[in-house]
Order: sequence, then C-alpha cells, then structure tokens
Amino acid sequence: MPGEAWLLDITDASDGRSVLLWTKDRGSGAVRSEAVAFRPPIYAAAPRTDRTALARDLRNDPLVDEVVERTERPSLFDTRPVTLLAVRPCSNRSRRTIAEKIDRRGDFHRFTLYDVDLTAPQLYHLTHDLYPFAPVVRRNGAWVVTEPAELVDYELPPLRLAPLEVRWTGGTRLPGPGDRITEIRLGPERLEGAEEELVRALPSEIARLDPDVVLTDGGDALDLPWLYAGAARYGLSDAEFVLGRVPSRWSPLRGARSYMSYGRVLHSAAAFNLPGRFHFDRANSVLFEDIELPGLIDAARLSRLSLQSVVRQSPGTSFSAMEIAEAVRSGVRIPWKKNRPERFRTAEHMVSADRGGTILRPPVGVHDHLDEFDFASLFPQIMVRHNLSAETLDCPCCPKSPHIAPELGYRSCTKRVGLLPRTLLPLLTHRAALKAAMRASPLGSPERRRLHGRVKMLKWILVTAFGYQGYRNARFGRIECHEAINAYARELFADMVREAERAGYRLLHGIVDSMWLAPGPGCVPAEEFARTIGERYRLPLGYEGRYRWVVFLPTVSDGFGVPNRYYGVYESGEFKLRGIGGRRHDTTGVARRLEGEILQILAKARDASEFRHLVPRALARADRFAERLREGDWPRTDLTIARRTTAAVDDYAVFTDTVSALYQSRAIGRLLEPGEKVRYVVLERRSRSWSNRVRLEGTMHGDERYDIDAYLELLAREVETLLAPFGVTRAGLLARWGARPAPPRDRYTSPSRPRQLRLATG
Amino acid sequence: MGRTAPTYRQALDERLKRWETFERLLTTPKEREAFALLRSGARRYVAQATQVGSPDLLESILLSVLLDIAQRLPPRDADAD
Repeated sequence: MPGEAWLLDITDASDGRSVLLWTKDRGSGAVRSEAVAFRPPIYAAAPRTDRTALARDLRNDPLVDEVVERTERPSLFDTRPVTLLAVRPCSNRSRRTIAEKIDRRGDFHRFTLYDVDLTAPQLYHLTHDLYPFAPVVRRNGAWVVTEPAELVDYELPPLRLAPLEVRWTGGTRLPGPGDRITEIRLGPERLEGAEEELVRALPSEIARLDPDVVLTDGGDALDLPWLYAGAARYGLSDAEFVLGRVPSRWSPLRGARSYMSYGRVLHSAAAFNLPGRFHFDRANSVLFEDIELPGLIDAARLSRLSLQSVVRQSPGTSFSAMEIAEAVRSGVRIPWKKNRPERFRTAEHMVSADRGGTILRPPVGVHDHLDEFDFASLFPQIMVRHNLSAETLDCPCCPKSPHIAPELGYRSCTKRVGLLPRTLLPLLTHRAALKAAMRASPLGSPERRRLHGRVKMLKWILVTAFGYQGYRNARFGRIECHEAINAYARELFADMVREAERAGYRLLHGIVDSMWLAPGPGCVPAEEFARTIGERYRLPLGYEGRYRWVVFLPTVSDGFGVPNRYYGVYESGEFKLRGIGGRRHDTTGVARRLEGEILQILAKARDASEFRHLVPRALARADRFAERLREGDWPRTDLTIARRTTAAVDDYAVFTDTVSALYQSRAIGRLLEPGEKVRYVVLERRSRSWSNRVRLEGTMHGDERYDIDAYLELLAREVETLLAPFGVTRAGLLARWGARPAPPRDRYTSPSRPRQLRLATG
Repeated sequence: MGRTAPTYRQALDERLKRWETFERLLTTPKEREAFALLRSGARRYVAQATQVGSPDLLESILLSVLLDIAQRLPPRDADAD
C-alpha cells in the first residue's frame, strides 16, 4: 500500500533531547522535518553489592535525568534474568560520557554496559518499527510504515540529485596557496565571480534547487572545507551559511584518518554532513565507487541505518546494524564492549583451526570447454545450515548435537536458532530474489544494471558477515565460528573432488566455493549435476556456464598457477576476468586500452587451438601500441598513473615516481596523507629531481614530453601478464621494442630528512 | 591480517629459504636440477598439504615431494608384483 509520504531519514536534533524525522510528501514532493522528543536510556548490569551505590551516584549526576531498575535477560548468553539499571541521559550527546563514567567506576570490568553506542536515530527506527525510505502514513499523530523493509520490489521516492563542484583560480580543481574560489557548479547552474560573492550566493542557490542528494568528488577533503573557510572569512554565521536543510555547525562530523584494511593503507577524509540532505562524496566512500543508489538504499532499509551512514561506512557496519536490529527485535540489548576473550587452545589446535577454505593452483595455460560451478553465498549458507553463531556454538544445552564442525569438533545448538542465521536468512532470500529478477531482465537494460547493483551490495554485506566472525571487536563475532565455517567449507570441497569424478568430470581448479570441471565423455549434464549436488548437500550450487576457453596465469616466482588470475570467454560470449589489469583500480589508461584490444582479438577464438593461433595477432597489436607510443604524442590523460600512497612523503626510503609526485603536491600546498591517491604522468624516470621526474595531474598542460621507456615497460608488463603461458616475457618484448631497461631502484638519502637517513644507513 | 599461525604456504616459503644454504654448496648442475625438482614438488601440493593442517611442517613437505617423485616414475609393470 503506498504511503502518504516516505520517511527519508532520522537525524539527531541539535537540542540533544529529540530526533528529527525527515519525510518527503508523496503528492507535493516537499521535504519536511518534525522534531520528536526521544532520549533512550543506556543500560548497566552490576553486581547487587555495587548496584545500589551506583544508582544513587547516577541519580546525583547532573548529566543523568532518571535511573530505573529493570529485570530482563540482556545478553544472548544469559540464561537467567538479571537486574539492570536503565539510565536516561539529560542529553543524547552525553550517552558516551555517562557510560565511560560507569565503566571507570566498575574498574572497566565489573559492570556490563548495553546500548551505549547505538545512536538515538538508530534506536528510534528500531523501537518504532520504522526504517529509512519506508512508505508511511499518519496514524494517531505518529508515522506508521505501510509495508515491511524486507520487500524486494518497492517504490523509491523520486530523489533530486545535484552535483556540487568548486573551481579555483585558473579553473583548476587543485587550489594552490593564495588561490581563490572562482566558480561553483551546482546541478545545472554555473556561478562565476569573486569568491565572496560566490560564497554568499551559494546558500540561496542550494535552497532554490533544494536537492535531496548532493554529489561531490572530493567534497569532504576539498570543496566543503574551502567553502566553510570562505564563509568564515567573509563573516557569515552558522545561521547564514546553510547548505543543508537546517542550520548546523560547520565542523566535520569525523576527523580525517589513515587506516589499514585487507593489507592496504587507505585514507578517509574528514566527513561533512549537510543535515536534511545526503552528501555523497565519491572520493571518500568505500562503497559509492562500486555500488549505486538502489543498492545503498537496500542496505539502509535492511540495516535501519541512515543512508548517510551506509554511504560513509563499510558494508561491515551495515551488517552489524542488521544483527543489532535482529537482536533488538528479539529483546536483547546490545553490549558496548565485547567481554568475551578467546578460549585457551593448544598450538596444535591453532594450526589445525586457523585455516581458510581450499584453494588449488590451476594448471597454467589455455583450456577449452571447462564448466564452472559456484556455490551461491556458500559461507552464509553454511552458517544458516549448521546454525553457527557466537551463542549457539558449544552451547551447554546440546552435548549430543549432530552438527559437529569437521576436524574441530565444535557442536552447534539444536534448540534455538542463532542470531547470525536469523540475520542472514532474510538476506539470503532477498539476494536470491534479486538475482532471479536480474536474470529475468533483458541484458544491458537499466533495470538489470540497477538489480545488479543491489545484488552486489548484498554480496558485500554477506562477505563481511563471514569476515566479522574473525574480527576481535565484532560485537557478535566469535573466532570459533569463523573456523567452523572454513572447516565445513573444506570438507565440502574435498567431497566435490569425488562427486565430480562420479559424474564424469575432472576437477581442474577450485577456489573455496568455485570449481572448474573438465567434462569427460558421457558426463552428467552440467545443470543436472548442479541440481543434484545442491539437493544432496542442501547448499545451492549454481552452474555459471561453459567456457569456450579460459587461460590460467602463472606466478612470477615459481611458475605454478595463481588461483585468482585468469581470463576466459563463456559460450554466451561473456568475458570473465580476474586479477588482470582491467580489474585493478590502478591500471593506467593506455595499458587498459591495450588489454581491451588484445582480449577483443582473442575473443574470436572458439577453442584452445584457435586461441593459440591468435596469439601472434595479439602480439602484433601490442607492437602497434608500442610504435605509436614511441611517436611521443599519446594523449596524456591516458598516461596518468594513479598510486595509493602508503606513507607520509618524508617517510619513503626510496626515491620513486610517487615520491616525486608527493613533493610536487606538497609544493602547491596539498599535503597527501597515507592512503590518499596521487595521480601523475612520468616525464623522465631517470631524473633525480622531483620537479622534472613526473608531472602531477591537475598541473599538466598536455604537451609535456613523457618517458617513452617507462610506458613501454608498462605495456610489456601488461602483455606479459596476459600471454606468459605462451612464452611471452617482459624482457623479450622490451628488447623487441628497443626500450632501455628500467634504472635500478636505490635508496634515496636526503641529509635534511633524518628518518630517511636512518633507513638508508641502517 | 589478524592471523595467529602462519599459513602452510608461508611456513613452506620460510623453510625453502633456509634450504638455499644447502643448495649453495651443491657442486654439479645435475644436483642443482634435482634440488629444484624437490622445491617444485613441495610447492605443487600446497593446497593438499594445507587441507591436512598438520602441525608437522616436514611431514607435509615430505609427503608432497615423495608424491611428486612417485607420479613421475614410469608406469608399474603388472608382472612385477
């Protein structure tokens, strides 16, 4: 049933005592906000001896409004009810301060605190059965949703999107010292003029266009801080310079930081929110690069997190919020700090338990007519099927459970379904429905693309659901779950080797949940094999398709196959590419283009033998690229190299192209933090001068002479990656193209940089 | 990332590195080739050795190397049994 309006968002109100409900009217499209008083309590469990004194002290605390005793089972692990103190703060802003006080009073271990880091808007969603983007109607003075969040096919409110972009003196996007704002682009509007004029005009322009979503590319790091600094310079107050739908302070929501994730150094800029609107900064979002609006809205609906948080945070945050929502629904409180240390285990158990899924090394070279099968969402399916969750593993109630993790012996509960499976099951159903709808929609249609984005978002969330089990700070995570999932997966994979043989196939390659099988004469048809296995093991196995050919690529070190580096073409004509240039974010335009053209040539092959015949043609294409590159007029935009910095500029020990670019960036007043990307063109890779070696993107004129050898090297590396199994080497290509070899990388010492000196001598 | 025990692959690389000292004192090309064969034999069965998850690294290496050699032997003559 359509509602009268959509609930767009719930945000904290500035008074600290209420939340703002933002709704968009179905008829007029107008966005309204409404303040509702809401100050949810935090909960503290304390031993009886401490509780009375704690309650008395809290009642005298000026930050605390009210303290009430309640008896309930706050934790998933509680078997008996306990008495809790429900502590209502005077302001939502002091939730954390009060919690820290209580924790300190309990010497950081005697009291358990609940619901502390849930925000008021999040709790309002959860306690009032609301969710972001819900259709709502007004009933008895309150908003009520008209359909469940889990609905797959729902109507989205029409959202007004407006890109925002600031330009500085000379039309550049990289302001140097003394530069002023000369242009602001907002949606279709282009404002030009003196900086003060522009800054003063912007709030009314935004209010006139009234976008729901403001899109920027680097707004957090660049556009917004500059605009706010400008507003301050011209004496505009918070109430005058309003870019959101209500006045707010201009300070960033979160400071900038560098961090490590999956072995990479990443950077996130300070976050600026525009209350009442969503701000999507393409350059400062883990997800937004990849996932489009429909997928993000799905995640917001299912997690009950504001769309703004979903965009800013990792998919893991969304998944945690979904677990929280499920826990709150079942009457459990959310622990603040995880007080659940790992058990002591023997070293032997550690070696046996601390392993991932099975990963084979594929036979290097081109293979034809292989069938590929994937278990759909294998890890989440295993968690659901074997009821794996922190509180269901080795529970005291089921010593005879038949669900025993292979090799490890962990049992799972048979009496109650765990929080993790309860959270996962609807997600799996949701994803399966979206995937089916996607397959049914026409190839290349906008509808299919939208559905693809939604499937991908859920995939990421499901992936983190597994990863979080092994993360020590994950609220409901438990390392034994992580180990059990892997053990079940390895067991399944080992079974598949024989299953495939019995069905007339031979297993050629496999990674955790995917298998590449060579069909023998008289084998069971692929679709049937997938169906039977899926039914026998009660885990859905999908048939991805038959390859015309697929090439497995070798490592440089030992020549064996790399599990996750291959490319091939299905019989449908669709490519599958993994671990080669085009799949990586940092591949330079020219290399990407060559790779694309080589793949187009090879795609004409119908089997391995035709493929081999086409290799010389692919090489001839590479030769043509090399020749044109040597002429020196390749478009410079295609030569821009993007590198993620891994350290501060002074901490590099070797003088590289990237270091040169970082010096240039600093010289124009833009100091890059570890994890930020730097983009440049290589001019002279042998140069020892940072100003001559490369040219920073944004300061290019387009007629610079580039280093031909450096780019030939880049091409050679790309071609070697694709064609190494056929005897093509980088050195051979470079010799054929007459390129000079790369200069040796040596330590760079600068007497003015003591840290580098130490690295160089030590 | 967050692992406590090194993976089999990492432990194997470490051990093979140690064996380089042994290799350096080999004096004939034939011995060096044979040594390279051992090394590749150990690497060929990384997935299978990982699946066993034995705390005894050498057991896994030996098993891999022996299997690599065994499967290179000429097919067994039925009469020889």
